[in-house]
Amino acid sequence: MSTLPAFGNEPILELRRATERSRLAVGLGELHLPLKVPVWIGRERRFGEELVSTDPGRPERVVALAARATPAEAEAAVATAATAFAPWAATPAQERSAALLRAAAWMRERRAWLAALAVRECAKPWPQADADVCEAIDFLEFYARGALALRDGAGAQLLQMPGERNALRYAPRGVCAVIAPWNFPLAIPMGMTAAALATGNTVVLKPAEQAPGCGLRVVEALRAGGVPADAIALLPGDGDTGAALAANPAVATIAFTGSGPVGLELLRTAAQVKPGARQLTRVVAEMGGKNCIVVDSDADLDEAIPAIVESAFDYAGQKCSAAGRVLVHKALHDALVERLAGAVAGLQVGPADDFGTDVPPVIEREAQQRVQRYIAIAQQDGEIVSPRDDVPGEGWYVAPVVATGLAPDSLVLREEVFGPLLAVESVGDVDEAMDRVDALPVALTGGLFSRNPRTVQRVIDRSPVGNLYINRSTTGAMVGRQPFGGNRLSGTGTKAGGRDYLLHFVEPRVVTENTVRHGLVV
Amino acid sequence: MLVEASASASLEPEIQRVGRALADAFPSHRANPLKALDNRAMELAAQDAELRAALFRFVDVVPACRSLDDLAAHLTSFLEQVPTQPPSLRAAMRMGDTRAGRTALGAAGAAGVRHMAHRFIVGEDPQSALQTLRKLWRDGIAASVDLLGEATVTAQEADRYAARCAAALATLAGAYSQLDEQPLLECDAGAPLPRANLSVKVSALTPLLRPEAPQRGQRDAAPRLRGLLRQAEQLGAHLHIDMESLDSREAVLELVLDLLAEPEFAGGPSAGVVLQAYLRDSPQTLDTILGWAARTPRAQPLVVRLVKGAYWDHEVVEARQHGWSVPVFERKADCDANFEALTARLLEARPLVRVAIASHNLRSVAHAIARNHQLGAGPGDVEFQVLRGLGDDLGQALAARGLRVRSYCPVGDLVAGMAYLVRRLLENTANESFLADQAHGVPLERLLAAPEASAS
Repeated sequence: MSTLPAFGNEPILELRRATERSRLAVGLGELHLPLKVPVWIGRERRFGEELVSTDPGRPERVVALAARATPAEAEAAVATAATAFAPWAATPAQERSAALLRAAAWMRERRAWLAALAVRECAKPWPQADADVCEAIDFLEFYARGALALRDGAGAQLLQMPGERNALRYAPRGVCAVIAPWNFPLAIPMGMTAAALATGNTVVLKPAEQAPGCGLRVVEALRAGGVPADAIALLPGDGDTGAALAANPAVATIAFTGSGPVGLELLRTAAQVKPGARQLTRVVAEMGGKNCIVVDSDADLDEAIPAIVESAFDYAGQKCSAAGRVLVHKALHDALVERLAGAVAGLQVGPADDFGTDVPPVIEREAQQRVQRYIAIAQQDGEIVSPRDDVPGEGWYVAPVVATGLAPDSLVLREEVFGPLLAVESVGDVDEAMDRVDALPVALTGGLFSRNPRTVQRVIDRSPVGNLYINRSTTGAMVGRQPFGGNRLSGTGTKAGGRDYLLHFVEPRVVTENTVRHGLVV
Repeated sequence: MLVEASASASLEPEIQRVGRALADAFPSHRANPLKALDNRAMELAAQDAELRAALFRFVDVVPACRSLDDLAAHLTSFLEQVPTQPPSLRAAMRMGDTRAGRTALGAAGAAGVRHMAHRFIVGEDPQSALQTLRKLWRDGIAASVDLLGEATVTAQEADRYAARCAAALATLAGAYSQLDEQPLLECDAGAPLPRANLSVKVSALTPLLRPEAPQRGQRDAAPRLRGLLRQAEQLGAHLHIDMESLDSREAVLELVLDLLAEPEFAGGPSAGVVLQAYLRDSPQTLDTILGWAARTPRAQPLVVRLVKGAYWDHEVVEARQHGWSVPVFERKADCDANFEALTARLLEARPLVRVAIASHNLRSVAHAIARNHQLGAGPGDVEFQVLRGLGDDLGQALAARGLRVRSYCPVGDLVAGMAYLVRRLLENTANESFLADQAHGVPLERLLAAPEASAS
């Protein structure tokens, strides 16, 4: 039986100590770029150079050369995974979990090397690259335990009557297509993949086209841990590859994290029963938000300002949990804006491999242009209070921006920017702030700064978001501690890193047996 | 180790003797520091964790409340979270039901907090603190002034803090130059000691302290700190750089030691750093400091203020949340034993450094006195520091015995002082606080017992 120690988060490195910092920096030296990333189905590898990922801070540095999966390869990957499904589903849960735990150990032994890849390929600053590796390990450890708990605890709650035996068990659904983002390039693909594998599904992983190198490491870790080659395929590609997977009738589950438009398209595709389909496609989708932090008049700005800066500008605002709006009580508005603008003026914009960097480059040229468009809109609709032009010339840098006085219908207040742009609005009171929050069609994360327990409770009662943070930053959800995911149009309400998450990758089956023979209970 | 142990053993009778003599010398009308606070709330709070939390939250939010009504609303909303309310609190809660009641309650709450704050904060600004500082000097007690303020999150705020510090140095130097001579307070075996003394925080001199990038904060704070060092040198004042949480230790210590090693500061000013005995690796930090002192000749030896450390809860919580080994001792006796070991090393390292023992623990202080005596040094060759409002009785007892005492005196407005105040109050009512033990009648022999470090 399972004798696993209780789950605990993989400790992030104590980077306030110089010895730990030098340990990480060693990882860069161990990277040999560019990586070659194949389409990897079973034991077959097809290399190619159709996709190129580059260092966002130094675009001429090629990080990975990847093949782009063809439609035929997408179909072959799903077919192989479908063939591998029966044996993997029949593998005892204990053995499947053991494979995930070995994958976690594989990653743990290579932390600096893996973090260094996230630094290079996605411009994750060191502390966050390290945290991404830790979170990937956490997902493996957490779901390995969760799958065993699901096996052991299922059906315990059923009512039992004399003469009948009722049992419920959870069976895997089949092939799961994992369509992953680049912003947590190891953790999120690993999390979705590990959940599917732990529960007995097979997986075709399509990493983000910006992060195929990290996707390769995810699959390598799982295969090194003992997941059968046919049960986990790597399918580097772009949006067409994802669409091909979603349209494949043999795909039982789509696990997606990414933008709203893509997620909604996947939901539409999945909702149409394809010819030849033998089951309904389920979608686990985690999409964007327009995350608001409410600051009441009794907030402690000494604590609120650093937390807001972290929420909005860490990783250049490229987290789905990042704050895009601050709704501050009018009594504190001017003080907050002045101090926030001053704090943002001091942020260091620079390369991800510099420990001193606050704001790294955004992921690619298109992202840089998109953020700059929104900044231009903010300039038109309001005022930029933290102008600066001291960003590095090379690389996809965007200066962090605070905008105020935006017209209520400004796009900047409604659309997810996914970049270092924060809008500050003045409100009469917390209720007005919550009205504005409630008017949004998305509900991912939210924040509140208040020192009145009654206000805190009122906001908790009114808040629609999936993850609400009180008197702290709105980013940095931890596996097992802050199960993460949004409501409304932000997602399917599934909570990654939470106990219920695995239920989305299984189907319940109930068996009722009559135990009466000739009037006797036997 | 054997020599060490036997030296400690032979010192024990002297420690006991000094400790008893000190206890006898406490001002008799206020033998009990907690009662001296003259505050029933503190007594109540020390007994009930929920109530303590409610009161601390209230103290913390007072500066942000916009009206008496707002104050009362906060007070009652904190108190309603206390499961078992003493009758006096239930009465307070009922007052919250009417507007007039809330106004009265808010006024009472604000007055209570202000009353408490005045015990710890000697003035709204250095000028208004002078009266208290002069009186302390006449009573034979020196001071180090600490300017309270908001956290520094912008460069402008760092500039403003540096300007306040510069102005404070000038005000203090001017005022102290007018005072009568106090030989014990202004020279030790080596040399004269500055009268004016200011404590500063690096976290207030830069908004860019980053645990994982200490150089950023150092680079940004250096010009401001250099300016203050120059001014202290010109005015003949002492500048002490406080230590804060472990997140900034590397930045602070390297910054101070680097700046003081610059040629222009070889002649002065007198300056100091802080060593926190609650950190498990504080002996290594002391190695760093002594190594630096040995290879950095300066006219005025570095002052090392030995403290227990004021960020214990923060360090424990941060380490636990991140899965790190806890950097501070979790047993009080281990911390106390380390304090004594560091005391001994510091005293033996003289004249490479000057030593300031900053503790309210009678045992730690008695140990330092006995050790100093054992080493054949004069009473003026070690300094004792106490916190204004908490260690006043101990300070007077030490001064009465002819020892050099410096009182750490926060200066600033009530709003800015609140965060500071809350930390002091927490410390005072914590379960393992020496002052709380003392106030609750723990027998003297237990208070003076040698700390037994756990085997490691």
